[in-house]
Amino acid sequence: MIKLIDLTKDFKTTLAVNRLSLDVAAGEIYGFIGPNGAGKTTTIRMMGGIIEPTGGKILIGGIDVSRDPVGAKKIIGFVPDRPFLYEKLTGMEFMKFIADLYRLDLRAFSRRSLELLEQFALLPWKDEIIEAYSHGMKQRLIIAAALLHDPRVMIIDEPMVGLDPEAVRMVRDILKGLASQNVTIFVSTHTLSLAEDLCDRIGVIHKGTLLAQGTVAELNLAAKTGEARLEEVFLTLVREA
Amino acid sequence: MRPRLLSARSGLKPDARGTNRARLALFGLIGSVFWGGAFAVFYRVLTYFQNVQDFGDILAMKLMSMMVVTFFTLLLFSGIINSLSHLYLSRDLSLVHSLPVSVGDAFLSRWLGSTFDSSWMVAAFSLPVFLSYGLVYQAGLAYYPIVLCAVFFLCLLASATGSLLVLLGAAVLPAGKIRTLFVILGVGLALLLVLVLRMIRPEQLVNPDSFASAVLYLNSMQALDWPWLPTTWITDTVRLALKKEWGLSLFNLALSASCFFSLMFFTRTAAGFLYFRGFSRAQTTAKRLFTPVKFHGYGWESLLNFLSRPARAFAVKEIRSFFRDSTQWPQLFLICALIVVYLYNFSVLPLDKSPMKTIYLQNVFSFLNVGLAAFVLSAIAARFVFPAVSMEGEAFWIIQSAPVSMRTFLWIKYFLYYIPLLVLSELLIIASNFLLGVTPFMMFLSTVTIFFLVPAIVGLAVGLGARYPNFKSENPALSATSFGGVLFMLLSFGLIALVIMLEAGPVYRIFMSRMHGHAFSLPQILWFILSFCLALFLCIFAVFYPMSQGEKNLLKR
Repeated sequence: MIKLIDLTKDFKTTLAVNRLSLDVAAGEIYGFIGPNGAGKTTTIRMMGGIIEPTGGKILIGGIDVSRDPVGAKKIIGFVPDRPFLYEKLTGMEFMKFIADLYRLDLRAFSRRSLELLEQFALLPWKDEIIEAYSHGMKQRLIIAAALLHDPRVMIIDEPMVGLDPEAVRMVRDILKGLASQNVTIFVSTHTLSLAEDLCDRIGVIHKGTLLAQGTVAELNLAAKTGEARLEEVFLTLVREA
Repeated sequence: MRPRLLSARSGLKPDARGTNRARLALFGLIGSVFWGGAFAVFYRVLTYFQNVQDFGDILAMKLMSMMVVTFFTLLLFSGIINSLSHLYLSRDLSLVHSLPVSVGDAFLSRWLGSTFDSSWMVAAFSLPVFLSYGLVYQAGLAYYPIVLCAVFFLCLLASATGSLLVLLGAAVLPAGKIRTLFVILGVGLALLLVLVLRMIRPEQLVNPDSFASAVLYLNSMQALDWPWLPTTWITDTVRLALKKEWGLSLFNLALSASCFFSLMFFTRTAAGFLYFRGFSRAQTTAKRLFTPVKFHGYGWESLLNFLSRPARAFAVKEIRSFFRDSTQWPQLFLICALIVVYLYNFSVLPLDKSPMKTIYLQNVFSFLNVGLAAFVLSAIAARFVFPAVSMEGEAFWIIQSAPVSMRTFLWIKYFLYYIPLLVLSELLIIASNFLLGVTPFMMFLSTVTIFFLVPAIVGLAVGLGARYPNFKSENPALSATSFGGVLFMLLSFGLIALVIMLEAGPVYRIFMSRMHGHAFSLPQILWFILSFCLALFLCIFAVFYPMSQGEKNLLKR
């Protein structure tokens, strides 16, 4: 469902992503971990069609993002690492704005938006302007909006930042539920316990290069760390790179 | 203050593409041209005044007094806006208040930043005025340092007054309504502008019948200004230094200085009590000034139902964001006031008293009016259309990740501003032409010219706004004064001047031939066609080229 082929981003002063190639199957949850500045957010932003790669290819659901960005974005639900929103709109108005951009059926929108707002515990604040929302509420609203058009692929950058423990559990359950419905999830995170618990496979990126990928057991094998937890595997891989 | 100074230094460092140097060079050039222009105009005016018997010196000194009052008013308004932003609304304030620094020191550092931001431009452009006075009146060398000190204290006085007003305002207004100060300021400014115009009635100056009252006016000009106002002390400092009455000049300077220090003492003391309380209240979510009104259940969504869904979504988002942000309103009120003033001027033009034929003058004014209206439109576009892309701010990722192409996004933005601006410009042109009583030909020509100039100006503004966006700015509206904003103004003014020049010759010929009943020769007809086609081509080019450049830049980000 997601295919990255020799994906490269060169910012002239920094080679952020260097010939990155990977595949993610439909219904799979793929975790993307790496130290700060490793190239995770750059990769995710390229996958979401937010920045242009300098080389390589991104295929989402078989659609080349460079050739048909609009077509690819129709099947993607994108969640950035920081919840910047239109602060002067209310939560419901923002959902309507997104629904209009995706040209969703209006009757379906009414039902689905209320469902999602309730699911993300935002229903009581649906008519408040976003400016008044807390960081966590904004993050939840973004995730709710990303799910509005029933995407086939979710690309999520740091989903748990700013969320309270209850919301973390809620998001984790929602992501698992989506994967069981064959939605592909590509998630970047620093919360290694979450990656370990949530993801089917994990990719470790460092200095723009994919060091290793696979299940936790496969990563242990690559790092020669026996049956260590992901944190130990990750630190070993990065240290030795 | 150090982060600010270091940021300013980093901003001056040349970057990889050399754009910083290009920007500095452009701003330097524009600044020098304005500075030189202001000096030349004042030097010329003062030299002329010196040759006017009896009244010359009175006029020159009255002009100085008016300039000082104008500078002070500008500084005061600018000081209020900057204080509000520096003291209560800036993003870095949370960090500042979390540091182990006393409220007084935090206030002082913010006040210094605000004073610099609100004063540097007025201070810089007041200097050529005072320099021309010094040269024309052959002032002594001591005049120049005294003037520098006078301008310095003028800025400090205005800034301290502005900050004190903001401190008191923030303490009185309920929490969440701090931004309401912007609205009060906007309404105040708009009313002041209209009132001043009505009181001055400049049209009377061209009426010879009112000469007797003009003599009375000059007599009243000799009357001394109110001695308790700081602007009077500043004016007297400069005026007396010009006359080499150093003692009295320095006395007035000392008065200004002591007034500033006393005012600063009160402001600093008030800040100790009020600043942190006001800042805490400002952290409360901004409350809406007015609750949205739905007419029989019809909102913006239903009103704009004829648009495509993405276009309607953008339009509704833009309208709601604009009207819910009260910091945007003052300039809207000012524009309304300017339009009233603009139309009012046409209604009082004493064309019938001119020695030239009225019909000729009416049509000349109508033609000039096209250029004038287009310049007004450029200014509005610089303030509202150019920042339209930057207004997306950090939420621009929503557009980038949405299934809407960048081209569609830009064209939706374009039409969102094009339609209201076209209606506004055409109304302005038709109303002013109606007030002038122009011929049907001029009415047709001016409405058609504006019809093609508006899309060009809007295209330039949206395109350059996308070519030079600033998504990280705290106040994207200020991007009108950025490199891209200034470039837009220059290109827009250039375009208007070119279109007007291309049309001027043919229009004059057509008009004269109508008056005298002459026919056109073939080369003349070819010239007309070529001129109008070239003007049309320029307008079309100004729509599409900047838009494509803007789109390319946004896609590269």
